[in-house]
Amino acid sequence: MSARLSRRWVAAAGALAAASLLVAGCTSNEPQETDDATTQAAVVPGGENDEKGDTVTIGFSAPAADHGWMGSITKSAQDLAKQYPDIDLKVADGTNDVNLQISQIEQFINDKVDAIVLLPFDGAALTEVAIKAMQAGIVVVNVDREFDDPTAARTTVLGDNYGMGISAGRFICEQLGGKADAKVAEIAGIDSLPLTQDRSQGFADALGECGLKVANRVAADFTVQGGEAAAANLLQAAPKLDAIWNHDDDQGVGILAAIEAAGRDEFFMVGGAGSKNVMEAIKADDTVLKATVIYPSTQAADGIKLARLLVQGKSMSDLVEVEVPRTIQLYAPVVTKENVDQYLPTAFES
Amino acid sequence: MSEHDVAASDAPAPGTVASAPGSQPRRRRSLLHGPAGRNLGLVIALVAICLVGIITAGDRFATLDNLLTILRLASVLGVLSIGMTFVITGGGIDLSVGSVLGLASVWASTIATQTMAEDSHWIVMVLVALGVGVGAGLINGVLVAYGKVVSFIATLAMMVAARGLAEVIANRRTQVVRVRDFLDFFRADPLGVPVLVWIFAVVSVAGWVLLNRTTFGRRTVAVGGNAEAARLAGIKVQRHTMYLFALSGLAAGIAGVMMLGRTTAGSSTNGMLYELDAIAAVVVGGTLLAGGRGSIVGTVLGVLIFTTLTNVFTQNNLSISAQSVFKGAIIVGAVLLQQRLADRSRAGT
Amino acid sequence: MRGIVKQFPGARALDGVELDVRAGEVHCLLGQNGAGKSTLIKVLAGAHQPDAGEIVVDGEVVTIADPVAGLRLGIATMYQELDVVDGLSVAENIYLGHELSSGGFTRRREATQRTRELMARLGHSSIPPHREVGRLSAAGKQIVSMARALSHDARVIVMDEPSAVLDSEEVANLFRVVRDLTAQGVSVVYISHRLEEIRQIGDRITVLKDGRTVASGLPATTPTPDLIRLMTGRTVEYAIPRRAPVAADAPVVLDVADLALRGAFESVSFSVRAGEVVGLAGLVGSGRSEILETVFGARRATSGTVRVGERRVRTGSVADAVAAGIGLCPEERKSQGLLLDEPVYRNVTLSTFTRTARGGFLDETAEREQARAQVEALEVRPADVTRHARTLSGGNQQKIVLARWLVHGCRVLLLDEPTRGVDVGARAEIYALVAELTAAGTAVVVVSSEIEEVLGLADRVLVVSEGRVVHTGPATDIDEHRVLDLVMEGSAA
Repeated sequence: MSARLSRRWVAAAGALAAASLLVAGCTSNEPQETDDATTQAAVVPGGENDEKGDTVTIGFSAPAADHGWMGSITKSAQDLAKQYPDIDLKVADGTNDVNLQISQIEQFINDKVDAIVLLPFDGAALTEVAIKAMQAGIVVVNVDREFDDPTAARTTVLGDNYGMGISAGRFICEQLGGKADAKVAEIAGIDSLPLTQDRSQGFADALGECGLKVANRVAADFTVQGGEAAAANLLQAAPKLDAIWNHDDDQGVGILAAIEAAGRDEFFMVGGAGSKNVMEAIKADDTVLKATVIYPSTQAADGIKLARLLVQGKSMSDLVEVEVPRTIQLYAPVVTKENVDQYLPTAFES
Repeated sequence: MSEHDVAASDAPAPGTVASAPGSQPRRRRSLLHGPAGRNLGLVIALVAICLVGIITAGDRFATLDNLLTILRLASVLGVLSIGMTFVITGGGIDLSVGSVLGLASVWASTIATQTMAEDSHWIVMVLVALGVGVGAGLINGVLVAYGKVVSFIATLAMMVAARGLAEVIANRRTQVVRVRDFLDFFRADPLGVPVLVWIFAVVSVAGWVLLNRTTFGRRTVAVGGNAEAARLAGIKVQRHTMYLFALSGLAAGIAGVMMLGRTTAGSSTNGMLYELDAIAAVVVGGTLLAGGRGSIVGTVLGVLIFTTLTNVFTQNNLSISAQSVFKGAIIVGAVLLQQRLADRSRAGT
Repeated sequence: MRGIVKQFPGARALDGVELDVRAGEVHCLLGQNGAGKSTLIKVLAGAHQPDAGEIVVDGEVVTIADPVAGLRLGIATMYQELDVVDGLSVAENIYLGHELSSGGFTRRREATQRTRELMARLGHSSIPPHREVGRLSAAGKQIVSMARALSHDARVIVMDEPSAVLDSEEVANLFRVVRDLTAQGVSVVYISHRLEEIRQIGDRITVLKDGRTVASGLPATTPTPDLIRLMTGRTVEYAIPRRAPVAADAPVVLDVADLALRGAFESVSFSVRAGEVVGLAGLVGSGRSEILETVFGARRATSGTVRVGERRVRTGSVADAVAAGIGLCPEERKSQGLLLDEPVYRNVTLSTFTRTARGGFLDETAEREQARAQVEALEVRPADVTRHARTLSGGNQQKIVLARWLVHGCRVLLLDEPTRGVDVGARAEIYALVAELTAAGTAVVVVSSEIEEVLGLADRVLVVSEGRVVHTGPATDIDEHRVLDLVMEGSAA
């Protein structure tokens, strides 16, 4: 399939002015069995499930990679697919236009792919076309943003937003060790999003378990400049703090800049999502950042792996079940200096 | 000069007999050098993109299913662009269409999910969307025509405001439409063609007739070509300008309903940046940005060029970033080609 | 400068034109619109390249590759459409493209000083170098254009219809400047449709017709009928046809009462009977064009009423004026009258296409028929209604605007500068048309900068000065000098 495709490309290159550009884009599609050894370290081996099976054609679509976490979603999916010679991954490039994303799925249906891994820009808007794919006999794996209808996907891989809040809250409780009047601040992401509300709820619930509550709360917008502005305001409003939880490591870059500009270091900070530079900062232990809570950017890669198993009729080897489960919700572990080495390989570049 | 002298000397005496043969060759010439000549470059570009699609993805590209996929993707942008063609031909620009689409879809879906009584018909929802579109368009039109605000600025304000209002109404949540009849309507495909594509086709034909065969279209061209001359000839330029923006708003409202039908959900992010795609399609289609000349056929071809390009790139697993580079090149290339052809056809007549 | 010989065969525009200009003379270039005058001067300026032929300056054959090369040879051109930039100052305009500068910085003080000198030389010291050009009158812009030509040390200045936008007093001043220039050895190539001007200022005349030189080096005293015959190839009476006097009991068609527009004119009242021509005479800026436009509703009157027959026309509504049967041929044909990139027939039916339409759908066949009938009646050339209006000459464009109102069938026709930029042949045809229309009972109001034209066409004349009507009376009771006196008195008062 791939070889035939690339021969066609050679023919097409003559017809196109931007030939070099296109061919460069195309090469990512070709199997790269040679560098398996170097990249495989990042993935937990799946035993005999990893043995080569029938070729599975998987269509993948996700929103535009407009921040680090989302960029890592597509990249980790592609990297994973490269490790399996029996996966033929078709990546429809990221878009925040639901109309276009629907069209991408329609094309996958026309192409009669075996499976579709879909991180929708808007779960509800993509439900209809996902049902169409399921009806066409295609295995649909829903990632991160849930569809509106449970029949629209065979299985769903979800992060745990509420759990992130719980993990962050419990870690802060432990660190502050029963200090009753401790001041805890929270810098949220886009406030009106359900995921933000879930994270804050979990955080408040966990803090409540040790008798603390959020003293100051501000919301940013997942961007560096938004984080900087929100943190600068927060630090003005709170002259003394013991701990801060930041929902998102991308906006955390701006938050750290604001903290440094204010010359503050009387508190510690816990991040969210788990970017590479945050983990490196935790490892170096030279900033207020002491921990981060992971919201896995590898969940689309998990989706690819599950899609492959589903199409090849395999089950998850460590479960007794014959079938892959309906829903898989990922855990939100806390990364500290002690265990950071374990998570660094799966961290995303922001 | 001599050519004209001949034309003048054998100009027939007024009468029905002489005029018929005289108009015959003229019509044939205008077919070659007129609109068809202007659209030739677009057809060539579209054929070239299709050829690349067939060469690179043959059996997957050249199928009926894929054709319908392209048309479904084109239909929402297509309807927006038809509305935009009128505004631009009339000498204005409408930057608000994408936001108005989003606002209309959110408003209608909120009605459907929250306030609509169980037994009321889904047409109410459609009318709300169209009403929102026309309303926003009228505000644009009044500001431009009577408030003398430059259309770029007036519609820029509407673009920002409508998006914000959509977010307020939707509270940044996606409103799912569960009105069964409405969804069934959009799921249908009479004669094997999806309803979305039917709507696009009907709007295109109606747009063509309106621009080329009616007094409304003639006024549009006159107002865009020379507003002062149109005014001094007795055309109500201000009122017509207002109508043009209302028409563009109506198109945005229709596109909002189509978006609802396609996604089953209203979201304040719907139609983000569509205004730029619409303007690009209209201008590539040969409508003068300065006004005074518009081509519905060109606009439809422009929309098809862009959506087919997207399809071919997806077929071949290529990134949208590379596609954007290509899209930019097509905009420049198509406009350059058209200028050449237009010059040649002008020299030919 | 000994002579310029140019040949330009093959091309439609110029087909073997010869022109020689001596130092210090005013050489007039005559020809109907479309005869090739504009193309010829563009070749001279370097804006067009000739396909054949040669240009000789001071005995040497030269190539004028672009306008800069033309200026370097001392050939400067003042185009018909004044090529000044409204947003820049007088001094900036004069030195546009050859700014006085050192090291990238403009030497503003020097430019100002030299501008002042140029203005003094042109007799317009009153125009300050820093004044924004957009705020000057048409005549002022022309002076700036001329100063620019002089700033290049031009030895030949080509003036394309310099008097078209000027009133008679300004024309007199223009002539004074031209005489000063020629006395200094500068040659002037002067293009105008006004034969009487040529007689006043010209030394020799070259006549072009259909891209060919039909006569060159004629003395300025050549009789008018001879010149017209050379230009048109036929004999045209350069005169306004006699019309029968208007019957005293003819009904009043247009009645204007106490019309005023703040800042432009006040309390204007007049009426026009069926078949009568009323002329408005006055200087540019006297308010005469504004009166026409206000009657038409194109400007919203501050007070006063306009009636057509018994019907009162709604203030400030062109659409209502048109519906009442008023038509206006505006002063600026191209920018106010025409859709230049639309076919002739759509321009002709611009006011009437709704009438032929059925249920909102156009009937283009009927439109073409109507337009064709008018195009034939008015002898528009070429007689092709599908041509774009842009491709027609000024006279033919004017006929298209007239044709529009003929198709519309208006009872009152307002003509603002109906013959500006129109050649002699078309001019006579337009006069004849006015006569025909009045014979059929149309009421006509004419504004023109050419007082003779107003007096010749009109039955009654209103002299306008500084926004007031200073005289009303039969055209036969007044002559050009008297009109000028009235205008002067008016502005002095």
